[in-house]
Amino acid sequence: MSASEALHARWSLDAGEHEHVVFMVRGIHCAGCARNIERAVGALPDVEGVRVDSAAARVTVDWLGGRNTGLRQILAAVERAGFGVVPLAGDAATSEYQRERRTALKRVGLASLGMMQAMMYLAALYGASDIDAAMTQLMRIAGMVIVTPILFYSGAPFLGGAWRDLTHRRLGMDVPVALALVLAWLPSVYNTLRADGEVYFDSVGMFIFFLSAGRFIEMSVRHRGLTSAEALARSLPVEVTILLPDGKREKTGVAKIASGDRFIVPKGGVVPVDATLAPEVGANAVGLFDESLLTGESLPATRRHGEMIRGGSVNVGAPLTLTASAAVGESTLSSIVALLERAQRERPRLARAADGAASWFVVVVLTLAALTAAAWWLYEPARAFGAVLAVLVVTCPCALSLATPAALAAVTTRLARMGVLVTHGDAIERLARIDTVVLDKTGTLTLPTTSITDIKLPQVGISQPVLAIAAALERGSAHPLAGAFAPHEKPTLIAHDLQEFAGSGVEGVIDGEEWRLGTFDFVAGLARHAQLAQTFGALESNLFLGSRAGLAAAFEVGAPLRPDARAAIDALRGLGLQIVIASGDNEAAVHAAARALDLQRANSRLSPQGKIDLVRTLRAQGHRVFMIGDGINDGPVLAAADVSCAMGQGSAIAQSAADLLLLHEGLASLPGAIIAARRGMRVVRQNLVWALGYNLTAVPLAAFGLVSPWLAALGMSLSSLGVVLNARRVRVAERAK
Amino acid sequence: MSIAYLLVSLGLGVFALAVWAMFWAIDSGQFDELDSRGEAIFDESELTSVPRAAAKKSDSVE
Repeated sequence: MSASEALHARWSLDAGEHEHVVFMVRGIHCAGCARNIERAVGALPDVEGVRVDSAAARVTVDWLGGRNTGLRQILAAVERAGFGVVPLAGDAATSEYQRERRTALKRVGLASLGMMQAMMYLAALYGASDIDAAMTQLMRIAGMVIVTPILFYSGAPFLGGAWRDLTHRRLGMDVPVALALVLAWLPSVYNTLRADGEVYFDSVGMFIFFLSAGRFIEMSVRHRGLTSAEALARSLPVEVTILLPDGKREKTGVAKIASGDRFIVPKGGVVPVDATLAPEVGANAVGLFDESLLTGESLPATRRHGEMIRGGSVNVGAPLTLTASAAVGESTLSSIVALLERAQRERPRLARAADGAASWFVVVVLTLAALTAAAWWLYEPARAFGAVLAVLVVTCPCALSLATPAALAAVTTRLARMGVLVTHGDAIERLARIDTVVLDKTGTLTLPTTSITDIKLPQVGISQPVLAIAAALERGSAHPLAGAFAPHEKPTLIAHDLQEFAGSGVEGVIDGEEWRLGTFDFVAGLARHAQLAQTFGALESNLFLGSRAGLAAAFEVGAPLRPDARAAIDALRGLGLQIVIASGDNEAAVHAAARALDLQRANSRLSPQGKIDLVRTLRAQGHRVFMIGDGINDGPVLAAADVSCAMGQGSAIAQSAADLLLLHEGLASLPGAIIAARRGMRVVRQNLVWALGYNLTAVPLAAFGLVSPWLAALGMSLSSLGVVLNARRVRVAERAK
Repeated sequence: MSIAYLLVSLGLGVFALAVWAMFWAIDSGQFDELDSRGEAIFDESELTSVPRAAAKKSDSVE
């Protein structure tokens, strides 16, 4: 099996004809390269989507398999466009990073050693008049011998990038740089061979040193900036030891695990799929799992029998046998990876604008360089050369196109460490601008586990076991309140024709009798004996059970507030945000929660449509709304808000409409997430201002001959670095905390 | 004058040697993990003299 086929087997998990592959690409430096790959692969028949993440050098392709296009054709198209393909399988990707790092280090190392040597020889020629011709020539030759290998080894990425651009008839950011290098090197070689005139070998050496040092640091940041979930996807084992029914052990590919298979996870091993402890582990056995890559939680979690162990956790206890509860494609981890990919598919608005600007930028620079050459040629030909070199080198479109992605990547990584998963490209920008937070109560402000706190029964004789009936109706419901009834289930009572009405309740038939459980109006609609309610004064309750015979019971179902809710709400208030509760629950329960949290604005008894209307009204008043819900019953509300966050529990997260997911239990990370987003957007603005300001200042100075070529090279590298390092501040601040 | 030819070519030789030594060091992994070696003293499993290959593996998991 070739590497690419192995990779394919691992990632193309979709059933049917929709195929999907992720791989890494060598040679991506900027958004221009990404567009070229997108165009090359997109031109193939049956390709449905191509996404290129230039920051992580990853390409994702969706296509209709089995007809005209296969993985082979896709990889060939990428290679034809001039890029090398590397499979994104655990070890291969790591060693690819290592290879890239080593090569980059060698390039910088050679350039730095050589630059100093060339400088030592050629400095002897600076303004020296009493040096004889033979000695001058010796120094020129020494410079040429040192700098030429630097140009073709250390400068290879720039020359190669420019060559690739030109052969594909486009202008990338390497073109001006390579043009400057060749423009300085060729006349120097010519002058050396004819033993007369100026040589610029020292300048060439210095350009390349600054440029490749800049690239090296940029690359290191990119490698570190990979979000933890990506690191996680990469750390997944490719092979797993399966325990066959006859007790034999067999190694097999992770993609082949099916639900119900038993497999062994060694100490320190990553659990490849969602699983539970296998029966043979022993009834009292406890597994210890580090879920930090999934949730950001640093303490290992204990898992007993029946508790779900999420794919992607690391077994930090003794080796364990587990039973797979889902295949790879359905487990939590692949949902997270899918969401991350969705986030990368959508390039943020700001980054798109910067990309567009950067490609025009190169055209402008080349025009300016030509104008500079013409002007100086007329005015003072001797200085034309230096000025043109300076213009070509000093401009820095990279700073412009790196400004946004570098900062957003840093924020995304930081949020992932807090256990907040960003699933939409624009989410961070929108999160930074919110001024109103709307919270659902049930399952969001309160714990997801509910219990029945009170039961009211009418005086008139209804003899049915109301709890068991309610439990039968709620069986299988995903509503947060349903869980309260689960302990009261009776296997003999089965409800048929179950129907769930969002925001109202459930309906079902038990022993030929029609029952409803839900809001008062919903149940009364069936019973048509609303007046019965008054007989036991239960209107304050939040759940009613009734049949055609009348109301059978009223339940007070509640959930305690999350322990960290008060602190989180106070912190949100401290950020100057207006906080509103929007709940479908009754007044008493909602007001109790609002009082405990010291909130004035609480809306109770809202239907799903009512919540949407509330959010729309707030937005119409000019507020930018951040909606937080449990993600299960409030999808449309989440979609109505400017930016939304769902409590990401279980396997439903992949279907979530939310822009952000809390992988952590609790609300504690919300204030931090908003602070990080705000800080990130501040860094983006700083970066854009810096990149624009630098170019607007440096280009005229260079054109007027005020910047020497080596200073131009230094300035260009520093401005790129400034942008990347500024973006890193977002993460450094986190560490300091 | 002829001493200059000798010194310059000697200089180029030393330069070539330095470049070769640096490439060798990079290729043998000297610069691959600058952080984790320094942090290794805090790693308790290191106390029991884990073989180098195993120790390296645990670094890369992070």
